[in-house]
Amino acid sequence: MFLMTATSLCSSNVYMSDSRRFKSYNKMAGERNPASCYLDERTFQLCCQLFLQHSETIQDGWSWEQIKGTDEGFMKKTVLMPVKPSVLHKQHEYSIQDENMVTDDIQANVEDETAGVQAVCEIHAVLRYEYHVLYSCSYQIPVLYFRASTLDGRPLSLEEVWSNVHPNYRQRLQQGPWDTLTQQEHPLLGQPFFMLHPCRTEEFMKPALDLAQAENKRMNYIVTWLSVVGPVLRLDVPLSYSTEVSAPD
Amino acid sequence: MSDNAESPTETQKDDPSIQHAATEQTGASDEKKKIDVLLKAVGDAPIMKTKKWSVERGRTVQSLAQFISRFLKLEASEQLFIYVNQSFAPSPDQEVGVLFECFGSDGKLVLHYCKSQAWG
Repeated sequence: MFLMTATSLCSSNVYMSDSRRFKSYNKMAGERNPASCYLDERTFQLCCQLFLQHSETIQDGWSWEQIKGTDEGFMKKTVLMPVKPSVLHKQHEYSIQDENMVTDDIQANVEDETAGVQAVCEIHAVLRYEYHVLYSCSYQIPVLYFRASTLDGRPLSLEEVWSNVHPNYRQRLQQGPWDTLTQQEHPLLGQPFFMLHPCRTEEFMKPALDLAQAENKRMNYIVTWLSVVGPVLRLDVPLSYSTEVSAPD
Repeated sequence: MSDNAESPTETQKDDPSIQHAATEQTGASDEKKKIDVLLKAVGDAPIMKTKKWSVERGRTVQSLAQFISRFLKLEASEQLFIYVNQSFAPSPDQEVGVLFECFGSDGKLVLHYCKSQAWG
């Protein structure tokens, strides 16, 4: 994926018909474009604050981290996630006695042939995923960073993280010729994280933005954006965000 | 819920949990196991000739997305996105029956869909 500059991202959308491109140009000229795929940092923070209010209401676990001495910050959430042991590579050494994690050698199979049902009682591994929603100044859109580890603190490899990408997206993401999931230094914390590359954000945001505009509804960018990217990385965004979180004024 | 074959030649006849709404038995039933879904294209997504479908409540969004992708003969590299309430993407594991309860109106669930190339 070639790096597009912010100014070229919206104007060179090769998927738009001529009539749509014409309409967008007219909208953009000289007035605030409500259907813009871009997000200024202030709007990002406002959307996050509204998002966080609802998270608080439903105890969804999100918090705001402000970088001391700056007006920058990000949303953060930590999740404990049971996964099939096959997600983790067997070559990584871990003790079977480790109470936090068991290998898939320990597996109880219960077959009930009369009922025609095979009940597999599989002991899952538990992973710790930490998600950060940051604002990217260069792309002018939000970006999802995350790090993942076992409960005893071992960071997951990129391969293991790939194994845990939702099957609905895994095949197509892996087919991309460019790095979609990359290891990046967290721009604000300076620690190693993974990042879901934002270069295709416009392709799934623009339709939703256009729809909202056609219906004369304003939407919360972060709610829409996170509802798309979250599930890719096993992050659930409850349906109530859709109806309970308003757009910033 | 069983997964259907991933064969690209599968037609909707092989997929009894998704049928044309016209063939659905009408009649008042509190235990209606299927819900009506109206599919609307956005962006450059191809428009489905048949827009209204009866879908089993237990069908997941992922499963429905796969069905639509096959029906529209999308390329392997193209990703389908589905939106409910116009601007919210339900989790792929979400059941359409739940979406119907939350967002259905006039007896149907409106879902918008668009496509894009794979990320990256």
